[in-house]
Amino acid sequence: MWPPQCPAALGAVARGIYTRRSTPADAGDGAAQVAEYFQDYITVAVFAAFGAVLVAVAVGAASLLRPSNPTATKSQTYECGIDPVGGGWSQTHVRYYIFALLFLVFDVEAVFIFPWAVQLETLGVFALVEMMVFVVILLAGLVYAIRKGVLEWES
Amino acid sequence: MFDYHAIAPELIIGVTLLLVIGVDLLAPPGRKYLAGVVGLVGLVAAAFPLLTMAACSDLAGCTDTGVRAMFDGSYVVDDFALVLKGLFLLTGVISLLLSVGYIEKDRYYEGEFYFLLVASVAGAVIMASARDLITLFIGLELVSGPAFLLAGWRKGDVRSNEAALKFFLMGVLSAAILLFGMSLVYGLTGEITFSGIRAGSAVVADEPAFILGVVFILVGFAFKISAVPFHFWAPDTYQGAPTPVAAYLSVGSKVAGFVGLISISYLAFGGVAEIWGPILWLLAAVTMTLGNLVALKQTNVIRMLGYSSVAHAGFVLVPFAMAATFDSAGMEEAIFASITYLLIYAFMNLGAFGAVMAAVSKSGSGELPDWGGLGRYAPGVAGFLGLFFFSLAGIPPLAGWFAKFVMFKAVLQASGSVWGVTLAVIAAVNAVIALFYYARVVKTVFMDDVPETAPVDEAARTPLSPSLALALGLTAFMVVVTGFFPQLLAFFGDAARALTLGP
Repeated sequence: MWPPQCPAALGAVARGIYTRRSTPADAGDGAAQVAEYFQDYITVAVFAAFGAVLVAVAVGAASLLRPSNPTATKSQTYECGIDPVGGGWSQTHVRYYIFALLFLVFDVEAVFIFPWAVQLETLGVFALVEMMVFVVILLAGLVYAIRKGVLEWES
Repeated sequence: MFDYHAIAPELIIGVTLLLVIGVDLLAPPGRKYLAGVVGLVGLVAAAFPLLTMAACSDLAGCTDTGVRAMFDGSYVVDDFALVLKGLFLLTGVISLLLSVGYIEKDRYYEGEFYFLLVASVAGAVIMASARDLITLFIGLELVSGPAFLLAGWRKGDVRSNEAALKFFLMGVLSAAILLFGMSLVYGLTGEITFSGIRAGSAVVADEPAFILGVVFILVGFAFKISAVPFHFWAPDTYQGAPTPVAAYLSVGSKVAGFVGLISISYLAFGGVAEIWGPILWLLAAVTMTLGNLVALKQTNVIRMLGYSSVAHAGFVLVPFAMAATFDSAGMEEAIFASITYLLIYAFMNLGAFGAVMAAVSKSGSGELPDWGGLGRYAPGVAGFLGLFFFSLAGIPPLAGWFAKFVMFKAVLQASGSVWGVTLAVIAAVNAVIALFYYARVVKTVFMDDVPETAPVDEAARTPLSPSLALALGLTAFMVVVTGFFPQLLAFFGDAARALTLGP
C-alpha cells in the first residue's frame, strides 16, 4: 500500500530538509547562504529518485501482471485514435515560424499590459503615454510585417 | 523630474530606428539607400545632446553636475560615458558610410541592414552608461543580437554563413558564461549595481564562488573582445562577414566589450583587483603574442586584419594588467591609457578596413599576392593602405605611436615591478613582430610587380563610391592630425578618467 502514502513520506523528507535548512546558525554569512542554496538541490534529487522508483515499480509490476498478446494492430503507433500518416520526420512550412514570432511579440506585449492596466489609475497620465509609445513601436513592427507580405499565405 | 537631456541620445536613436524602418517600407526599390541616409542623420543628431552635456560638465569648469545618475544609479551619464557614446556614434557613422555603396550592390534587404546596424550602435551607447549588471547585459545583447544577423548578411555565400554561425554560437556561449558569473556575484553580494557590489565585495572576497563569478564575467567579456584563448571566432567571422560589418565588429562591438570590461572591473570589482589583475596580465600577454604570430602567416588581408585586431585587444588590456598593484591614481592612468588607445584604434582600424575595401574593389581580390603593384595603377588607394597600416604598426608621426606610448607609460608606472617590466618587454617585442606583417602589405602594394591577372584598366574606370571616399578621408584626417597633435584624442581620454568619480 505504499504508493498512496508516498507523497506523505516525501513530504516528511522534504520537511526535514527544509527545517534543517531554515535554521541558519549564522545568518548573513555568504558561505552559509550558498551552502543552504545548494541544499535545495537535495530536495530536487530526493524527488527525482522517488519519481524514478515509482515509475520503475509501476511499469515493472504491470509488465509482470498483464497478459502479453501482441498483434499488428496493437503494436501500431498511437496517434490520437486515427491511423498514423507519413513518417516520423515531417517538415513544417517556414511561415508558421514567422506567425509564431509575431504571436510571441504581442504575447509579451500582453504580459506587460496586464500589470500596467491594474496600476494605471495610480500611475496616471505618464504611464498611459509610456504604454502608447510601447504599443506604437510594436505596431510599427506589425506594419513592417504586413508591408513585407509575410502575413499573406499565398505568394 | 526625469533627466531627458541625459537620455536624449538614446531617445533620438530610438526614433531614428523607427524612421529607418518607415523609410525602408516607403522607398521604392533602388532608393533604399535613403534608409541609410536617415540612419546617418539620426546618429549625427544623437551626438548633439552629447555636446551640450559635455559643454556643461565639470570639464569646462561649469558648475552644473558633471555626473547625471538615473534609475537609482543604474544608468549614469558622466564624462566617461559621454566620450564613449561619442565614439560609438562616430563608429556607427563611419560604418554606415562604408556600407552604403557596398550593400547597395547586393540589392538584398538593404533597409534592414541599416536598421540592424543602428540598433547595434544603440546597444553600444547604452553600454557606455550601464552601471548595473542587468543594464550592462541588455546593452551587450543589443550590440550582439543585430551583429549576428549582419555577419551572415550574404546568405548565398558559404563563408558568410560560417561567419554568422560561429559568431552566434560563440556569442551565446559567452553570454551564458557571463550570466552565470553575474548570478554568482549577485547571489553572494545581493546587489546588482556596481557600487553595491563594490561595497559588498570586501566581505566575500575570499569565497571561491565569488572568485569563480568574477572569473566567469571576465571570460564572458574576453569572448566579446576576442582575447586569446577566446578569439578563434574572430578571424573567421571577419573574413566571412561583409567587410563593412567586419569593420564594425572589430571596432564598435569590440570597444563595447572593452567598455563593459573596464567599467565592471573598475567600478564593481575595484576592491578585489588582485583577483582579475593577474588574469588580465596573462590574457594581455597571450593575446598580443598569439594574435601577432598567427597574423604573420596570413595571405588574406581581411583575415590578417582579424588577427591584428586580436593583437590590438591585447595591447588595450596591457594598462590594466598591473591593476593589483595600482593605487587610485594608477587606476586613473590605466583608464586614460586604455580609452585613449581605443579612441585611436577605432579611427585607424575603421580606416584600414575602408582602405582594404577600396583595394579589393580595385584589384578584385582579397589575397595579398594579387595586390602587387597596386600603388602603380591605384596610387590613392595604395596611399591610404600605407597610411593606416603604418599607423596600426605604431610608426610616428601617425596616430598609432601615441596609443602605444600611453600604453607603455601606464604599465611601467608601477616602477620596480618585475611583472610590469616583463609585460612591457613582451608588448615591445610584439610591436616589432606586428610591424613586419603590416610593412609586408605596404611592400607588396608599392614594390612588387603587377600580376598579369590584375584588372588594371578596369580599376582606372571604376571610381570609389563617394561615401567610401568620405569615410577614408575622415579617418585619414584623424589619424594624421592625432599623430602630430595627440592632445586631440588624449583630451577625450583624459575626460574618461571621470569613471573614477563614481555615480
